[in-house]
Amino acid sequence: MSGALLTGRLIVVVGAGGVGKTTLAAALALGSAKEGRRTLVMTFDPSLRLKDALGVAEAAKDEPIRVMEDGPGFLDAALLDAKHTFDRLIRTYAPDPAAAKRIFSNRFYRDMAGNLSGILEYMAMERLFEMQASGRYDCIILDTPPTRQAMDFLQAPDRMMNLVDSKAIRFAMDPWWDDAGRKNLAFRIAVKGAMELSDRIIGRRFLLDVVEFIRAFAPLFDGFRSRAEEVRNLLQADETRFLLVAGPGPDRVPDAMFFLRKLKETGHHLGPILVNQVHPDPGPVAKNDEGLTLLRFLAGRDQRGLALLRSLFPGERKIIPIALEPVPPADLRTLALLFDKLSTTTSI
Amino acid sequence: MSVLDRIAERQLVVVTGKGGVGKTTLTAVLGRLLADRGKRVLLLEVDPRESLHQALGTEPSGGGIVQAGPGLSIQNLQPDAVIEGLVREKVPIPYLARKITESVAFHQFVEGAPGLKETALLGHAYRVLHGGHRPRTDLVIVDAPATGHSATMLAAPGLLAQAAEGGQLGAMASDLAAFLADASRCGVVLATLAEEMPIQETLELIALLRAKLGIRPDLIVANGMYPPLPPGAAQDPGRSLWRARRRLNEAELARLSASWDGSLLELPLLPLDRGPALVNALASLLKRAEP
Ligand SMILES: Nc1ncnc2c1ncn2[C@@H]1O[C@H](COP(=O)(O)OP(=O)(O)OP(=O)(O)O)[C@@H](O)[C@H]1O
Ligand SMILES: [Mg+2]
Repeated sequence: MSGALLTGRLIVVVGAGGVGKTTLAAALALGSAKEGRRTLVMTFDPSLRLKDALGVAEAAKDEPIRVMEDGPGFLDAALLDAKHTFDRLIRTYAPDPAAAKRIFSNRFYRDMAGNLSGILEYMAMERLFEMQASGRYDCIILDTPPTRQAMDFLQAPDRMMNLVDSKAIRFAMDPWWDDAGRKNLAFRIAVKGAMELSDRIIGRRFLLDVVEFIRAFAPLFDGFRSRAEEVRNLLQADETRFLLVAGPGPDRVPDAMFFLRKLKETGHHLGPILVNQVHPDPGPVAKNDEGLTLLRFLAGRDQRGLALLRSLFPGERKIIPIALEPVPPADLRTLALLFDKLSTTTSI
Repeated sequence: MSVLDRIAERQLVVVTGKGGVGKTTLTAVLGRLLADRGKRVLLLEVDPRESLHQALGTEPSGGGIVQAGPGLSIQNLQPDAVIEGLVREKVPIPYLARKITESVAFHQFVEGAPGLKETALLGHAYRVLHGGHRPRTDLVIVDAPATGHSATMLAAPGLLAQAAEGGQLGAMASDLAAFLADASRCGVVLATLAEEMPIQETLELIALLRAKLGIRPDLIVANGMYPPLPPGAAQDPGRSLWRARRRLNEAELARLSASWDGSLLELPLLPLDRGPALVNALASLLKRAEP
């Protein structure tokens, strides 16, 4: 029934901000639980009402919370908070409490943890991996962060590995050594330039903060590296499916293309494309009927968007339109209704 | 003094809001209105997938400045390019500059330094205004990227100034932070839809801007409002969708108004595609909506 949508043990819902990923992830998760699977939905930033519906509060940052049970199936929900996970991870991998404390009190860590691009996404993956490895779930549905850069998370494990192995780190540990452990001329000039640049322009204290952070962080690297590899394997596993949610209308197609291209490049398994919030056709419109003219325009615009997507992917994969609901689904009842609609459309 | 009068006196206006709510469209609309008042306006788009030029019907900027009408021009800016340009300026030996910008360490630094990219973008705007560029620009409007919380962009120079205290970078960042904090020169306009998540984020952003930066937005624009339903309309699925959406818009707008007593203007959802016709129609509606 809902076969196409709920294949895979891990379903990653991706798409641009504001297209309804969180709602669809919640609806799919609820449906999965009702079909008897032990299901977890991991979400960023749900709306207040959805938060209420799922009963996820601050507490869900640590442990998933039980939303509903139905025979053998159940639905748990967890809230993703990258900083929180990062802190926990440091506590886990630090060789001793003093090392963890050194990192926590580093100014660069405090200012930067939320800034270093890719790290936050990596932290989400990390948490996902933990949940997956726990064996508590048949199906995990991951709602990804509400940013355009959300796709960074695909590269997040690689980036983490790069960061750990990078020259920058060695540069910080010992600025005079190059890749091969030799001091080659070009590198020396570059380093000298960089040092001068840093001193004069960046300011020495900032640099010292960074170096101190990296030194404090270094003992954790081995743990991070092997974990990052496992996370990457999980994302590329046959059992993992990516569901792309796109907004309606031709102007939203470039966003969808961007995500599709990224997924293809990185060799991830793509499921159907869901085009959300498509305006239904209001039927024939009387003259002077301003509002229905608008609805007609919107319906036409959204059909043009669908046609464009289909022409870009002729017969290659399922493109599923989801109608704009009069009232956004935000409780278990309306989410279940949305899932029912989804599964009937998909079976056609 | 009307909202537009107030905005017209600014040097820098940052338009921000959640993804897809109409930031780029609103940037174009404000640009048009202010250029019509005789201001020389530059619109800066930060998004790598350019769309501002479509809203105004010009060719894409590709990093350069493109004229979009009398007194109005647009430019698409990528932070990496701005930062590399700065390095080239500070390090006059091209070989050395290239070595630096190509080094892994440099890229890690650019990625990791708190607020660096955002500061570079705002710094570019500052230089356009005060760097002796000809022809002069009176006002720069930034179409801010919708990454996470847009307050990070405005907070960036302050953060960087603190982190990199003591160097030239820190000094520049701190000048910029002071400029941004000057309410007589810099303003913020928030774009939103009257739907739950965008309104929620708008409320959070208002609180964040006040708490962290002492900034109060000049204007909030509730975009994409379903128009009111004429009385006594028939019952059909199209109308009930419309009615429900309008009700949602009104309820969410009321929720916003309950904790926002500043300027709030509504723009309707229009049956027009992205382009100059939409921008012109919204511009004249915005002008009329002003008290
Ligand atoms: N009032 C309106 N009436 C009709 N269409 C609109 C209106 N405002 C915006 N749009 C359309 O909505 C779409 C999104 O608008 P826009 O690109 O301005 O949003 P944005 O906030 O800049 O999005 P992003 O976060 O992707 O940069 C565009 O197709 C635009 O033409
Ligand atoms: Mg935009």
